[in-house]
Amino acid sequence: MDTVFALTAGYLTSASVTPSPVVSISDDAELARAARHGSRSAFGRLYDRYARMVHGIVLARVPRTEVDDLVQDVFLAAWRQLSTLRDDGAFGGWLAMIARNRAHDYHRRSREFAELPENLPAAERHSPEALAALEAIRALPEAYREPLLLRLVEGMSGEEIAARTGMTPASVRVNLHRGMKQLRQILNSEGRS
Amino acid sequence: MRDDYLWDGSGEPDPEVQRLERLLSEFRSTRTAPGLPAGKPIAGARVRWTAIAATLALAAAGAWLATRSAPEGWEVDLAGSGPSRLTVGETLDTGPAGHATVNVGHIGVLDVEPNSRLRIEQARRHEHRMSLEHGLIHAFIWAPPRSFVVDTPSAVTTDLGCYYTLDVSPDGAGLVSVLAGWVSFERDGRESFIPAGAACQTRPSVGPGTPYRKDASPAFRQALQDLDFAQGGDSALKIVLTEATRDDAFTLWHLLTRCTPTQRLRVYDTLAALAPPPAGVSREGILHGDRLMLDRWWDQLGLGTTTWWRRLEGKWAEK
Repeated sequence: MDTVFALTAGYLTSASVTPSPVVSISDDAELARAARHGSRSAFGRLYDRYARMVHGIVLARVPRTEVDDLVQDVFLAAWRQLSTLRDDGAFGGWLAMIARNRAHDYHRRSREFAELPENLPAAERHSPEALAALEAIRALPEAYREPLLLRLVEGMSGEEIAARTGMTPASVRVNLHRGMKQLRQILNSEGRS
Repeated sequence: MRDDYLWDGSGEPDPEVQRLERLLSEFRSTRTAPGLPAGKPIAGARVRWTAIAATLALAAAGAWLATRSAPEGWEVDLAGSGPSRLTVGETLDTGPAGHATVNVGHIGVLDVEPNSRLRIEQARRHEHRMSLEHGLIHAFIWAPPRSFVVDTPSAVTTDLGCYYTLDVSPDGAGLVSVLAGWVSFERDGRESFIPAGAACQTRPSVGPGTPYRKDASPAFRQALQDLDFAQGGDSALKIVLTEATRDDAFTLWHLLTRCTPTQRLRVYDTLAALAPPPAGVSREGILHGDRLMLDRWWDQLGLGTTTWWRRLEGKWAEK
């Protein structure tokens, strides 16, 4: 039942899971502390460690073409708001919350303007199969979207997802399992049709 | 079915997962870190919890609140259902696969995990209150302290300006885990103050237990749980006192008012060795539950002053 910030965010090297430079959350706490005192290099290292997490969280929620800009916004907001972080060891969960809030704000703002369609033909550089897989995941319930994208797009392990985002490992495992089950059903039905 | 490959890439490869990995890896970001604006992220050090700062914060909070209009309810974004509005008395049940993002008026946001059931009790300009029957929420509140309260079956959780996780199991037991700021856990006059990096459990028949550091030793945490909820008695207390470090002083301070008089002596001696009491605080006074002395010792722990707490609490002083 406890949260996971005391856990080591280790990773398993394999063909599918991209090695992360992260060693432990306590290292991140040191970096967060240094960044809070103005160290840009420490913040840059935090960016290296958390960019995948933020990218996956945002990709789960906003149009694909907006993601990169929004990721940059999230880190700029984090830099400005570091004074509100009172437990350096909670940097990951805090940053994940900023990312979700920014994505939420994007939709709130975009209600006032017409959203551009997702697939503008001139700008497309991804294969139809990849786009179809991405859209299938994005059609899943939000609880499944985020961990699946962090795992399949960003290459994070389940343990790393839990440690980075502040979710419990059990919750991540259940959501990965159920999300993958639903995703298989969607992809199979699309394949048959 | 085992999901080892899906979990971390170990075990027998799953062809479908491998195919998706290959396809989707092209969506990874290749951008570098953004250029940061000039200057430090903050001007100066972190906020010091002095009475002066608290007074200023409360004054600012009043001005802040005065500029806000009263919300009629909370905006809810339930996965798969889109945005809607939850008003006082209404219940949100995320179900086994649901996940919701909830805007708490203008003061914060909740992430509500699957299998959670909550109900809005109050949605006023100055006070937002909900009950969490069961489930898991992540609360990020940026309003002044005590603006957001959560009732659980075994304790009341009060936000003191922070980011925290609250997990309530179907049997009513709870766990609050604080990531930033402070949270109080209270029931029937028994109150625990939980700082960032700490957690606290609660049980329906007992109320809040003693707060502890999340990175305290496993033996320490287990013994504390035994002491709080399993009648661990002297043997559990012995482990707690043996394993305690200076960083656990706030845990021992809470125990001073919860142990038997005999046990209190032992807690006093250990706490005094780890964090010596200030002048004017005597062993006899603490053993007799002298509130002023307890307050002065708390002030010495570097976790904020009781003056600050009292301004927030208003009723904490008298037990």
